[in-house]
Amino acid sequence: MTPLSRLFAAAGGARVVAFGREGERTADELRSDVAALAAHLAPLAGGRVALHCHDAYAFAVGLFALAQVRSVAVLAPSRQPGALLRLAGDVLGFLIDGADAPREIEGRPCGSPLAAPRASFPLAALDREAAWAELFTSGTTGDEKPILKSVRHLEDEVDVLEARFGAALGAGTRVLATASPQHLYGLLFRVLWPLAAGRPFLRTPLLHPEELAPSLDEGPFALASTPVALRRLAERTELASRAAHCRAVFSSGGPLEAEVAQRVAEALGAPPFEVYGSTETGGVAVRQQRSGDEPWQPLPRVEAAVDPEDGRLVVTSPFVSGGERVDAACTRLATGDRAEPAPGGGFRLRGRADRVVKIAEKRLSLPDMESRLRAHPSVAEAALVLAPGAGEPRVGAVLVLTPAGRERHADGGRRALGRELAEHLAADFDRVLLPRVWRVVEALPRDAQGKTSVRALSALVSEAATRPELVSFERRPGGAVVEWRIPRELAHLEGHFPGHPLVAGVVQLHFVMGALAELTDAQPRLASLEALKFHELLGPGAHVRLHLETNAAPEGAQFRFRLVDAAAPGRIFSSGRGRLAP
Amino acid sequence: MGGAEALEAEIKRLIVEALALEDVNPQEIETDAALFVEGLGLDSIDALELAMVLEERYGVTIEDDPEGNARIFASVRSLADFVRSQGGEARGT
Repeated sequence: MTPLSRLFAAAGGARVVAFGREGERTADELRSDVAALAAHLAPLAGGRVALHCHDAYAFAVGLFALAQVRSVAVLAPSRQPGALLRLAGDVLGFLIDGADAPREIEGRPCGSPLAAPRASFPLAALDREAAWAELFTSGTTGDEKPILKSVRHLEDEVDVLEARFGAALGAGTRVLATASPQHLYGLLFRVLWPLAAGRPFLRTPLLHPEELAPSLDEGPFALASTPVALRRLAERTELASRAAHCRAVFSSGGPLEAEVAQRVAEALGAPPFEVYGSTETGGVAVRQQRSGDEPWQPLPRVEAAVDPEDGRLVVTSPFVSGGERVDAACTRLATGDRAEPAPGGGFRLRGRADRVVKIAEKRLSLPDMESRLRAHPSVAEAALVLAPGAGEPRVGAVLVLTPAGRERHADGGRRALGRELAEHLAADFDRVLLPRVWRVVEALPRDAQGKTSVRALSALVSEAATRPELVSFERRPGGAVVEWRIPRELAHLEGHFPGHPLVAGVVQLHFVMGALAELTDAQPRLASLEALKFHELLGPGAHVRLHLETNAAPEGAQFRFRLVDAAAPGRIFSSGRGRLAP
Repeated sequence: MGGAEALEAEIKRLIVEALALEDVNPQEIETDAALFVEGLGLDSIDALELAMVLEERYGVTIEDDPEGNARIFASVRSLADFVRSQGGEARGT
């Protein structure tokens, strides 16, 4: 085991450090690639450089070359053009591997870490206190937050991983990882720990985890994966025949389902080591699920305590970034997770702390109320969020309804449904905690990771009633049939004709455009409008049905609509046809 | 609309606006129906908020007297009677 900071202070050797379809690389080759890139990067010394690689070997070359010139590697969370563009103003250049790498971004140079011409550079030991890598969190709040790691943070964490798991892995074991090195888990488990411990690592992640199968037959291996990839692997790969080669399986990045843990255990003899941590705290604790609710045991050099005031888990370790300095080595940080000390030592996680809210001095666990809502026959899914209220914040509920619930909603409207659900909850919750704002949606908003963000929910509950209340949205070949109820508080009703609230024609068109946006999954722009007629006056409380037909045409989609009374389809409020800008 | 009814109507509108009640039309609130729990479903936070708005608008003083307040806040009618007893009247919009 070589400390990370001294990895390039001594000669390399002919042992293989990385392998995969791009070829094997030895420690000597790694040294000369790092030296070549460091010489090339010397003009950017001390600055910030963004790094994004598919190939973990190219990543390692970039990361260590930047350390050699005392630059900070900004680990781009993705290589989406938008993500790279956001970083451009904050870095001197980009190191991006692969054929899909751009040449330059906003005038900043961009090159592959493996493309530097041969050159010599005096490779030295790294300063443990130097800033090395900036990573981005991907929290459920949707905000990416930069977290700076010093050489010391990463070196100490790698030491702890080897101390805790080194014996299980053994010497020279190949490391197969599916996690991206752009995030802390992949950075440590896929690149830095294998390099420091002299274990060869797999260069390129496989598109589908089951493609790992052939590598599993080549000799002793350790697998570092994510819950999603492990599930796929367990479902599609004959793992049991590889049990003799398997030294350890790791899972991190999210909760591992007990069923997947069990499948891996049956096939490979032991359940995966689940590692709990975050970008800020680094690794915190480990467990192996056998019965399903095993407590987490802190890693060596990590102290995990539960704050008696708010139930949050507080982590003290040498690899916590930020937080409060405790001694020369350690800092302490309160996490956003609630925990309970386990009787035999360690702790059990009890959900996100920001999901326990206080209203008028009363505590409310949003997950508890969500599960009570789901127990009601009208509710299929429920997500709660704190919404600003008149004085105190109030609970807002976003619901997906069951068929029975849709019927209830269509009959009585949102108010009757909300009252019924509030009464259902009143049996278990104080009245001030009951949801005050109800939103019915077809599906809960989810991001690319499948998480429902607080931001998306807040947007839903805080939007004034500027839109009709959706009763149903049914896609049909060549169009859609949409039903709405016109809320009595529709913002557009105000100000037109005092005492006679009406939905103006332009507002009806706005509804049609909203339906087109939903149907085409884009923000449509109106190019022309023809045969527009407003037949009957539309007022609040009406239950309306929109018949929308549309076809895609190169010069822009054409559409035709008819807005009718849902109870009396012969009664037409408005109709017309138009064309959208391409 | 007479003065008495105007005050009742104004209080109904105040309730809906100040408490940001969704899906409730002021005209739908019955003058004699219970405002709290079984009626309109208002709660203690709403009572505080409503008291503040009434004090501001009509210059009335609502004491910290749970029993008296339970009577005052029973319905729109009892609120209007209370405002009138303190010399308040409809202010219009």
